[in-house]
Amino acid sequence: MTLRRILTAAAAAALLASTAQPALAQAQPKLREAQIRPAVSSVEGGLWDMSDQMENHVKASAEVNKDPQLNAFVKTVLCKVATEYCGEMRLYVLDRPELNASAAPNGYVDVNSGLLLRAATEDELAFVLAHEVTHFARSHTLERYRQTKQTATAGMILGMGLGIATGGGSLVSDLVYLGAIASLMSYNREQEGEADTLGYGRATKAGYAKGAGAAMWSDVIAETRSSDFPKTRNSEARASIFRTHPITAERVAALQAMGGGDTARDVAAEKKYRAVIRPHLAAWLKDDLRRRDYGQSLYVIDRLSKLGEDMGVLEFYRGEAYRQRRSEGDGAKALEAYKRAVASADVPVAAWRELGEAARKAGDKAAARQAFQTYLDRAPQAQDRWIVESSLKTVQES
Amino acid sequence: MAAPTAISAPAPNSKVLLMQPDVQLSLLTAAGLQEARADWSQQARTNITQAIESELRAKSRPSELLDPTQAMAGREGQLIRLHEAVGQSIMAFNYGVINLPTKKGTFDWTLGEGTNVVREARGADYALFVNGRGSYSSGGRKAMFIGMAALGVGIPLGGQTVFASLVDLRSGRVVWFNMATAGASDDMRTPEGARALVGKLMTGAPL
Amino acid sequence: MKAMLRSVVIGALALALAACATVTSAPQGTFAVGQGYQVNLGREWSDISNIMTGRPKNVRLLSIDGPLLNRLYLTDGLAPGQFLVKPAKRERPTPTYRANMAATELVEFVADSVAALDYQRVETSNLRPTKFVGADGVRFDISAQTAEGLDMAGTASVAEAGGKLYVILYLAPKEHYFAATLPEVEQVMASARRG
Repeated sequence: MTLRRILTAAAAAALLASTAQPALAQAQPKLREAQIRPAVSSVEGGLWDMSDQMENHVKASAEVNKDPQLNAFVKTVLCKVATEYCGEMRLYVLDRPELNASAAPNGYVDVNSGLLLRAATEDELAFVLAHEVTHFARSHTLERYRQTKQTATAGMILGMGLGIATGGGSLVSDLVYLGAIASLMSYNREQEGEADTLGYGRATKAGYAKGAGAAMWSDVIAETRSSDFPKTRNSEARASIFRTHPITAERVAALQAMGGGDTARDVAAEKKYRAVIRPHLAAWLKDDLRRRDYGQSLYVIDRLSKLGEDMGVLEFYRGEAYRQRRSEGDGAKALEAYKRAVASADVPVAAWRELGEAARKAGDKAAARQAFQTYLDRAPQAQDRWIVESSLKTVQES
Repeated sequence: MAAPTAISAPAPNSKVLLMQPDVQLSLLTAAGLQEARADWSQQARTNITQAIESELRAKSRPSELLDPTQAMAGREGQLIRLHEAVGQSIMAFNYGVINLPTKKGTFDWTLGEGTNVVREARGADYALFVNGRGSYSSGGRKAMFIGMAALGVGIPLGGQTVFASLVDLRSGRVVWFNMATAGASDDMRTPEGARALVGKLMTGAPL
Repeated sequence: MKAMLRSVVIGALALALAACATVTSAPQGTFAVGQGYQVNLGREWSDISNIMTGRPKNVRLLSIDGPLLNRLYLTDGLAPGQFLVKPAKRERPTPTYRANMAATELVEFVADSVAALDYQRVETSNLRPTKFVGADGVRFDISAQTAEGLDMAGTASVAEAGGKLYVILYLAPKEHYFAATLPEVEQVMASARRG
C-alpha cells in the first residue's frame, strides 16, 4: 500500500539509508502478542507514543468520515481479518482521495476514502486491510526503526538537520517527530511482500475471495499507467524515497502463485459493496478530481461504470474530469458525458448547469437554453442561480 | 528576550485553568537519530504539572487541571486550537528571527473575547498553557561530539526548551509569555529538576 | 497523513526556516499590487509575501498577525495558465486559471486553490454579484478547517479584466480573527482599481 507523503529532508535522509539495507531474513514470521502495550521505556513504547500523537492529530481532522453505517461496515471487515488484534484497533475513515490505509504501531488504523472508492468488492477491501494488519502484527515499524538506527552515516545527516530545524522553536521539532514516524511507516520491499503474503493468508482464512488481492493490485497498476503524467505512469520502475515500494507486476504474480489467480469479480459481490459506498460516491469522486490527475480519475470512473449502476453520478463526474482537464477534445467529451448523465434518474442537479455551459461553448444555443432552464427549475434555491440566469440570457439573445 | 507582560498581578483568588502540559522528549543517539522516549515525556509531564501546581499553591492561587485532548469539541476546542496558532505565531515573530512590522515594539496577541465561554464554563479567570520539547544526548552521542569537535565539526548535542503562555479569559489576551532553556541542573525528568526549570520559566509571571 | 505533514511543513517551515527572507511594512494608504493595479489599505499590514512558500511571483500576501491568523491574497492579474498557488511538483498540479471560464468555474478555481493550500472541507457560500477592479465579478464566502481542526472563515472577490483574473482572498480563523479584520478587507476590496 502506498503511503505517499511529504517528508522532511531529514526524515528522507534516514529513509534513503534504510532502503539500502538488506532486509532481515524471516524464516518463520513471528507475530506480536495481542493486547500488549510495550514498556513505556522501550523503543517500541516511544513509537507508540509518537503514534498516539499522530492519532490525536487525525482525530482533530475535519476529514474524518463520521457516517456510522460506513464506519461499522469497515470496522466489521477490519475485525474479520485482524482477528486477535481486533480489540486494540481504532478505526478512522478519512475522506481523502489518495489511495491509502495504514495501521500504526499503537493500533490506530486509518482508511482513506480513496481506498474505499477503488476497492470493487468487500473482498478487495479486506485484502488491503489484512495487508495493513500484517504490518502491525509483524511490528514492521519497529523493524524499520532498527534498520534506520544501524545506518549511522545517514543518521548524522538527520542529526544535523535536526540541529538546524530545532533552532526555530518547538513547532519544528513536532515536524521532525511526525516526519520520523511517517518515514518508519514507509515500508521496504520485503515488508510489503510479506504483508501481501500474510495478508492474503488472513483474508482468505476469513473467507474472502482468493483473487481479490491480485484483482485490486492489478487495478492500481492499470490506474497508475492511466496517469496524465509520464513520471507517474513510469513510477512502477522508479524507486522513490517518498513512497513505499510500488505495487508491481511481481507482487501480483506472487499473489497469483499462492492461489489467487482467479481475479474475475463476482457481480453480486460488487453490487453489494456498491450499495455500501453509494451514499458517498459523489463526494468521493469530487475529492478525487482535486488530485487533478484526470487520467487516473477517468480510469477509476471507467472501472466503476462497468457495473452499470450510478450512471448519472458517474457520467457527471466523467464530464467534470474532462471539463477541468481541458485537453484537446475534452470539451466535446465533457458535453457527451453530461448528456448521458442527465439521461439517468440519479443525475446530480449541477449536471444540467454544466450541460448548459458545455453546450454554450459548443455553440448549441438551443440545448444550452433547455439545460439552463432545467437547472433553474430543479434547483430553485441554488446559490449560483443568478449566474445561471445571466448565462441563460446570453443564449436567448439572437 | 524578556518575558512580555501585559498586566500586573491579577486579583487575589483568581482561578487558573492549567492546561495539562504538552511535553515530548527524545533521546539523541550517537548517530543523531531522535528516539522518542515516552517514559521521559510522561515523567516530565507529571513533574512539570506538579511543580506548577505547587508554585500556584504557594501563591494561594486556586487552579484546576484540564487535559486539552479531552476538550477538543465545540467552542472550547476551537479556542484551544486558536491558542496553538497564536502560540506558534508568538514563537515565530517574538522569539524567531522574523519581525512583523505590524507587531513591532508591542506584545499584542489575543484569542478574542470568545474565551469568556471557557471562563464561564470552567469558572476560571486565566488559562495557563505550557509545552516542552527536547532531546537528551546518549553517551555515544557525547563521545561523538568530542570526536567530531577534534575534527573541527560541531554536531548538535540536544537540548530542552519549555514555553508558557497565560491567557486572560475575560479579555482573551495573552497577558504573559515566556520561554526557558534547561541547563545541567534543571533536568525536567526529575522532580527537583522540573521545579528548578519551572522556577526559571515562571520568572516574571504575574501570578 | 500526507496532507497533515504538508500542512505542518507549510505552517512550520514557512515560519521558522524562511528566516533569511524579510517581511516589509505595507503602510496605510495606496498599496501597489503590481504595475497598474492598486488597492487602498485602511491600516498598516505586513507584506509576508517573501516568507510564504508556494507563492507565485504575481501573488502578494499581506497579514496583520502572521499567516496563521490572517492572510490576504492579492493577485496582480493572473494570465491564463497561471496559478494562485504554485504546484510543488508537476504530478501534483494546483488549479490553473484558463481563458473562457464560466463564473462558477472562477469560484471553483479559488475554492480548489484554498484546498491546495491544505485547508480541509473547503466550501463556498453566499455567491453574489459584485463590482471589482471596475468589472462585473463574483463575491463569495468560504469555510474550511485547518489540519489541526481550527475552523477558518474566508471571503473572496474575483473578476476578469483585460483578459486577466483578479482575486482578493481573505482567510482567518473563524474564532475572533475573521470578523476583527473583515471591515478593513471589505474596504480594501472596494478600493481595488486598475490603471
